[in-house]
Amino acid sequence: MRVAERTRNDGGKAPSVAAGPSVPITTGGSRRRNRNINREGLEAGKRSTRTVLWILLAASLVLYGFPFLYLLLTSFKTPIDTIAVPPTILPREWTLVNYISALSRSGVVASIINSTQTAIISTLLSLILAVPAAYGITRYKTASGRVFIMAALVTRMVPPVAIGIPLASMMASAGLADTPIALSIAHTTISLPLSIWLMSSFFEAVPQDLEEAATVDGCSRLGALWRVVIPVVSGGIAVTAIFAFLASWNEFLFALLMTAIRSQTTPVVIANFQTQFGLDWGSMTALAAVYSIPVILLTLLLQRKIVAGMTLGAVKG
Amino acid sequence: MRINDRRFALYLMTPAALFLAVFVAYPLFRLIADSFFKISPFVGGPRDFVGLDNYVRAFTSEDFIGAGWRTLAYTVVVVTLEFALGLGMALLFTTLGKKSQIWRTVFMYPLMIAPIVAGLLWKFLMIDNFGLVGTLLHQAGILQDPNQIGWLSNPDIVLFSVAIPDIWLTTSFMCLVLFAGLQNIPGDLIEAARLDGARAPAMLFRIILPLLRPVIAVALVVRGIDAARAFDTILIQTNGGPQSASETMSLLIYRTMIRFGDPGLASAMGTIYLLAMLGIAFFAVATIWRPGKDT
Repeated sequence: MRVAERTRNDGGKAPSVAAGPSVPITTGGSRRRNRNINREGLEAGKRSTRTVLWILLAASLVLYGFPFLYLLLTSFKTPIDTIAVPPTILPREWTLVNYISALSRSGVVASIINSTQTAIISTLLSLILAVPAAYGITRYKTASGRVFIMAALVTRMVPPVAIGIPLASMMASAGLADTPIALSIAHTTISLPLSIWLMSSFFEAVPQDLEEAATVDGCSRLGALWRVVIPVVSGGIAVTAIFAFLASWNEFLFALLMTAIRSQTTPVVIANFQTQFGLDWGSMTALAAVYSIPVILLTLLLQRKIVAGMTLGAVKG
Repeated sequence: MRINDRRFALYLMTPAALFLAVFVAYPLFRLIADSFFKISPFVGGPRDFVGLDNYVRAFTSEDFIGAGWRTLAYTVVVVTLEFALGLGMALLFTTLGKKSQIWRTVFMYPLMIAPIVAGLLWKFLMIDNFGLVGTLLHQAGILQDPNQIGWLSNPDIVLFSVAIPDIWLTTSFMCLVLFAGLQNIPGDLIEAARLDGARAPAMLFRIILPLLRPVIAVALVVRGIDAARAFDTILIQTNGGPQSASETMSLLIYRTMIRFGDPGLASAMGTIYLLAMLGIAFFAVATIWRPGKDT
């Protein structure tokens, strides 16, 4: 818990190294003042320097964004243009033929439904388990809580390939082979530890007086958690949910090991395109675009929340 | 108030702890147990106790040793490049200040793309004949022939090529974490250094990087663990080839299990892999991160 306490003191972002013994724990106000000084400190002053830096930034971002743009453009090319030598960047002729052929292939639409279903179940499972656990860890600070959160951190180091096979055979003997439930459980083994860490840091930020007031007013401990604390951390729950959803949506190895026909997710179908249908780049790029666009839009929509979760998640473990 | 606080906290943690025990700890236990047996790949087939035989076979296998080195090299390449690029971008965003916010958002989108899609995309960009990377380098006058570099077919460089999607996907993660760290550096320190006449390189190496050390350490450890587990991007690009030149540990274990049908050997490899990762991670946490010692 040392990490958690330290990160909370300086705004949940980075352990502050500079805070010497004479510097008191910063309050919200002085932190803001610090940021302002910081801006004067690290920002480039001269106008000409700034212009050069802006150009540099624009150039890097174009370069960085280009690969995905090229994938999108390719998905609108005719199958012959897709593999033309030398390749062109813009489609010579814009067409939706790749989207139609990708989506009309047997199993493709079903795989998108499977992916959605699996990600939703896994997200819910992750939240149901992580929210009370993280609350128990942060609110009561027991020894078992400290042990548990370290154990959850260690889980992050387990390579999926190491537990994938035993997990798959466990699911098979439980009669769950090739079901979205089995895959959701596997995905939850990945998202649960991160969810616990994220939720712990959100609970850290909730003042304890809140629940104390509620219990004085006659709420039970569970009642206080449900009616008072959960609404306060609902933003944090949303962040955690996004991360759990993305982890499942993008996961491949467990999906490869644990699904066959009925519950196959789209990443496995995309990978299978290579062998089953030769190298049909047009359909592959179209399906890859269909699979990526919703999450990219979601990200742009919720970017502030995601950035908060990402930095928190990283700094914490 | 029928039950005390400690018991209440325990009850809250129990479901999650049970879940991890059943679905992570138990499979790990099975993995370790299996590593001492010679197991038939068929369900219900023979299962003979062979002691440490599988471990001996793993350590004397060239494939295993090779995969170990490749995994290490892959991790070092990915994390180093990603750190250099991410730090560069983070400094750029910081020096440009508030107005760069919208660009930071744009910069983040690859993080949301499935690794399998990223691997596929870069395979398409680097493939021989119609890959765009070779063609653009040719048109820029850097290469004489678009196919001069066999990105994914030359065993000498393929390990670097398969790392590119990983670097592309997660540089923004590194950047965001470092950016958050930079935001927390007190301005007066920078101001003081500037008044003392520190120039940009001195500022970076003597002030900014030491102050960022805890953030850097955490980012490197987190990304190192992830890079060492890389599977999707490599599988879709090369499937470990050519001539196993891009076969990392995850791929080797997967193939030993599925293709060669040797669960006992694969379990021994998985156990060694897990122990090595735990060992390196704890070492890294203890020496670079040093929780609690950096204030």
